[in-house]
Amino acid sequence: MYLALREMRFAKTRYALIMTIMLLVSFLVMFVTGLAKGLAYANASSIENIPADYFVVQSDASQRFSRSEVGTSVIDEVRNVVGNSHAAVLGVQMATVTHDGASQKIDVTFFAAESDSWIMPDVVEGSGISSYASGEVLVDQKLKESGVQLGSVIHDQTSGMAWTVAGFTRNESYSHTPVIFMNEQEWQNWKQKISKSVQASGNAAYNTLAIKASSSQADQLKSKLPEMEIMSKSTAVSAIPGYKEEQGSLLMMIAFLYFISGFVLAVFFYVITIQKTSQFGILKAMGTGSGYLAASVLGQVMLLTVASLFISILIIQVASRLLPDSMPFQLSGSTIGLTGCLFVIMAMAGSVISIMKVNRVDALEAIGRVSA
Amino acid sequence: MTDKLVLDRISHSYGDGDTQLKVLNQVNLQVQKGELVAVIGPSGSGKSTFLSIAGALLTPKEGQVIIEGESLSDYTAHQLEQLRLNQIGFIFQSANLIPYLKVEEQLLIMARLAGMDKRKAMGRAKDLLTRLGVEHRRKSYPHQLSGGERQRVAIARALMNDPAIIFADEPTASLDAARGHDVVSMLAHEVKSEGKAAVMVTHDERVLSLCDRVLRLESGILTEEASSTLHG
Ligand SMILES: Nc1ncnc2c1ncn2[C@@H]1O[C@H](COP(=O)(O)OP(=O)(O)OP(=O)(O)O)[C@@H](O)[C@H]1O
Ligand SMILES: [Mg+2]
Repeated sequence: MYLALREMRFAKTRYALIMTIMLLVSFLVMFVTGLAKGLAYANASSIENIPADYFVVQSDASQRFSRSEVGTSVIDEVRNVVGNSHAAVLGVQMATVTHDGASQKIDVTFFAAESDSWIMPDVVEGSGISSYASGEVLVDQKLKESGVQLGSVIHDQTSGMAWTVAGFTRNESYSHTPVIFMNEQEWQNWKQKISKSVQASGNAAYNTLAIKASSSQADQLKSKLPEMEIMSKSTAVSAIPGYKEEQGSLLMMIAFLYFISGFVLAVFFYVITIQKTSQFGILKAMGTGSGYLAASVLGQVMLLTVASLFISILIIQVASRLLPDSMPFQLSGSTIGLTGCLFVIMAMAGSVISIMKVNRVDALEAIGRVSA
Repeated sequence: MTDKLVLDRISHSYGDGDTQLKVLNQVNLQVQKGELVAVIGPSGSGKSTFLSIAGALLTPKEGQVIIEGESLSDYTAHQLEQLRLNQIGFIFQSANLIPYLKVEEQLLIMARLAGMDKRKAMGRAKDLLTRLGVEHRRKSYPHQLSGGERQRVAIARALMNDPAIIFADEPTASLDAARGHDVVSMLAHEVKSEGKAAVMVTHDERVLSLCDRVLRLESGILTEEASSTLHG
């Protein structure tokens, strides 16, 4: 590092420019990652927020809640294994609603759960809902943008039913639509109206069971309920309509960003190393080992990478606060850590060619023939 | 035995088969402690090749190099590296100093690589720079020095790790006559006072009077120049 540090001291401008470029590249990578994560959360926050480990759906439902039904026998079976309090029923139904005072239609997703269930979200404004058929629901704050207020009445287009907004929740969306929470009484009443089969049986089924369970309990359930699928929360999230497609494109973009930034870094370091071959020749002629020179090159790359990463993380923190709400941005500590590690690895991989070049420099180049 | 450097029947050629170019042919040389030897010869006669072999940068096709009584024939690459670091000092024609190190650091890096004690290294660097008259420039970068100053720093650096022998390839080529004379006389002085040996390849006739012996390399053969033509 003796050589590396002194070289940076000598060529301050050059290294400041290199650092700026690395900073911008790492900023870009992390910014896009943050936006992708933010979008993912904005898409699926309602499922992300349920503190469950697994979801139980019918095997033939292709992991879609809307295509699945869990009957009472399944519910009893699951509750036997994981315990009553660790399994919560969940109804999921997409719908189009209007609210009084506005003709505009809004796509929403209804979530139905027992009113005292741990699936029910925290209320940030207004009050919670009771267990009887009070005609009240909890809605996501995003609906405020469409003019919904406490006490507004929400009308379902298909059934003609109406509910009053009792409270607001935060960050509850499903497939990018705001989620409206109702209790089981309302769910039963509503389903009776919209489904012929429910009218016949007199009992509306739920779509899924959210469970808190260990993996061994999950295995036990799998063998006991062969016609059901026990899927992890992350599987459930990626099965949300549109989620996989959206994240796939973003992931592709991020992967390319990594690849391109790695390539840019590699070319950078290679050019810098080439410019230094005659110095390496002199140092080798005087008895400097290739290992020492390689460590010097690598140390320099590491120093530049870590320093620019550090600054870009600071900038990201500031930038994420300045972003408007309509641009969801989420970058957790672990994502930053992972991105940082990947970036460092890319930079190191980029300097490998340079190090090979250093190893090949011949000490002979210092004598006689060089001087050019 | 006071021979610092012995070249024993060295032969070297470049290329192979039909296109073989014989550069050195059974070259012998002994250099003793306190001696400054000059090697002259026409361009392309193999002077740099000769110096690279003597300086353990190039392995000869035939013959052996002996430095301080030790034959380098069976040395590993790492041992040769260590030898160059501790026993050999190089002064090249140009592109000589590391551009981003200050004068003082040019010397200290050598000590660092050799694992010399830091305090001792500082003392020795200061001493050498003072003796060569560049102590006042010790915080300057190479590009801020004159050509003569740069070569004097190069001499100081070559001496830093207290080597047995110093090799110089046309150290005065980029200097004017007076400067060239100064630099070589300083080199001669250091060789005498520190009890080293030195081999210098040169084209510069004016500095030959400062050397103890002058050798001519031509057609692969190394011969002694008659000393009477030089001194006087
Ligand atoms: N790596 C090499 N491969 C092939 N031929 C070489 C190589 N290095 C030198 N030669 C040839 O060997 C001969 C001697 O080269 P060398 O550099 O030793 O000459 P020199 O006496 O130092 O010349 P100058 O006075 O011009 O510096 C030249 O003909 C040169 O072309
Ligand atoms: Mg030459």
